[in-house]
Amino acid sequence: MRPILQIVSLVALIGLTLPSVIFLAGRMELNMVKWIMLLATIVWFVVATPWMWKDNGAEKS
Amino acid sequence: MVRFPGDDRMDTEQQSQQTQTGSEFEREPVPKSARLGFKSFIGMYAGEHCAGTELMIGPLFVAAGVSAYDLIMGLLLGNALAVLSWMFLCAPIATRSRLTLYYHLEKICGRKLVTLYNLANGVMFCFLAGAMVTVSATAVGVWFKFPMPGLNDLYPNSVGWVAAVAVVGGLIAIVAAYGYQTVAKFANIAAPWMVLVFLAFGFVGLRQFIDATGAEVTSLGDAWELAKTHIWKGGAPQEGQVKFTFWHVTFFAWFCNMAMHVGMSDLSVFRFAKKSWYGVASSTGMYVGHFMAWISASILYAYQLHLDPADTDVLPGPLAYRAAGVAGLLCVIIAGWTTANPTIYRAGLAFQAISPKSSRFKVTLITGAIATIAGMFPAIAMKLLGFVALYGLILMPMGAVIFVDFWLIRKFGLQSSYAGLSKRTFNWAAGLAWFVTLTICLVLVQLGWIIDKLVVWGIFTMSDRLQWIKDTFAVQIFFVSLPGWFVAAILYIVLSKFYQKKVRPSGVEQ
Repeated sequence: MRPILQIVSLVALIGLTLPSVIFLAGRMELNMVKWIMLLATIVWFVVATPWMWKDNGAEKS
Repeated sequence: MVRFPGDDRMDTEQQSQQTQTGSEFEREPVPKSARLGFKSFIGMYAGEHCAGTELMIGPLFVAAGVSAYDLIMGLLLGNALAVLSWMFLCAPIATRSRLTLYYHLEKICGRKLVTLYNLANGVMFCFLAGAMVTVSATAVGVWFKFPMPGLNDLYPNSVGWVAAVAVVGGLIAIVAAYGYQTVAKFANIAAPWMVLVFLAFGFVGLRQFIDATGAEVTSLGDAWELAKTHIWKGGAPQEGQVKFTFWHVTFFAWFCNMAMHVGMSDLSVFRFAKKSWYGVASSTGMYVGHFMAWISASILYAYQLHLDPADTDVLPGPLAYRAAGVAGLLCVIIAGWTTANPTIYRAGLAFQAISPKSSRFKVTLITGAIATIAGMFPAIAMKLLGFVALYGLILMPMGAVIFVDFWLIRKFGLQSSYAGLSKRTFNWAAGLAWFVTLTICLVLVQLGWIIDKLVVWGIFTMSDRLQWIKDTFAVQIFFVSLPGWFVAAILYIVLSKFYQKKVRPSGVEQ
């Protein structure tokens, strides 16, 4: 489960950045960029929280 | 972010140190078994220096009329100097003594002087946390559309603004008091996301400039031309701002975390490092947060000015919303929140160290309330460049004292860690080195104003010589810390000569 969550988290981070790169290249509308960034944000926090929270806890202990 | 003493992990340590629980080597060197690898420091610095205040600092560079060359080259050089300061001033001492800043200082300065240091630290934390609350509150303004402060506003300018800061600051304070560790964990999760949102700000802003100017950008040369002619055009600063040159940018980038490297606060961090060269890990924070994030945030503000030169307000909320929509707004809120949280918590710890019997919960709440009130006054956030320089200046002399005490003082026939040796609670040599250095630096910064006042009051008449003194010796706050460090170092040696003669290790005064 953990590797899957990590892969999805990585995809979310790519989804967060890539639209702005495409926008910079002039191939996407800004509104679309904003929506994809919001979606990627939600996915990141939902998916990364379980495994990163555990990692943080492990570091502290 | 402009980082402030301690960090999430070290706060746990600092707390235990100050509450005397004895679990984090607070009064003993860090043992080999507890030392950390290089990767721990890379992640810590990269995450911490990309935060809410970056959204103010980047735009304030543009408001200060910085040019493209001065900004890019100044940031490259200034950040390199900051990294070198961590590597060659702070980390070597940390990995040799392996003590916390506070215990190290206590041995040199004595408990009472350290308490005073804590007080200064705590007060500065409160104001800085206030600036972070200000940043977060600008995001609330996008939703509720109340009037927000302008670039030169010193006081709150609307009921809506006061209410927004009160709610945001109040929530941050309550969370800091109840669940500091939870927010610290959340901050770690948010860090990679936040860094990439900042990067997106830059890409979006750049494209908006290309579209708005109709520039053809097909190479790096074209991008540089766009940067020079439209983004960071140089010229006069906005009204009420100091003009920033290459040297301003360089010194600001170098000294904005002065309390950490030259001021030695990160002794508490690097005492865990296996090797002193791990100080180079700070470069991740410098070149992600203090290069990429500042540049990205400044592009957003430059674009706002490009659209309407009269719209000089530096409001991270609207800037981020325009570039990245709701994700941008969330970034502003989370960036402000996750950095204000530990700052308020640390301020509480600093104050609690002064009065150890008081409840940490209450102290943190009161500290949060003070920070919230400070956040209502936009002056701190809008003058953040000067305020950050002042913050570094105030803590810098103690860094010079530690440096001299560790490396040089025995070469002058004197003893190091003299308060510990003589069982004194206030080492006057260190205390005076601190106070006198600060006084000299502040007089130099205010020299023009002082001379003008003396002339107005009729004490002096303005002459060529007086004008020469004013022109020659007045130093802007961004630069004064460099000579100030040497003043503090020399003063500490000279004063120790007298002090150590008078106060003997046995404690018997002669």
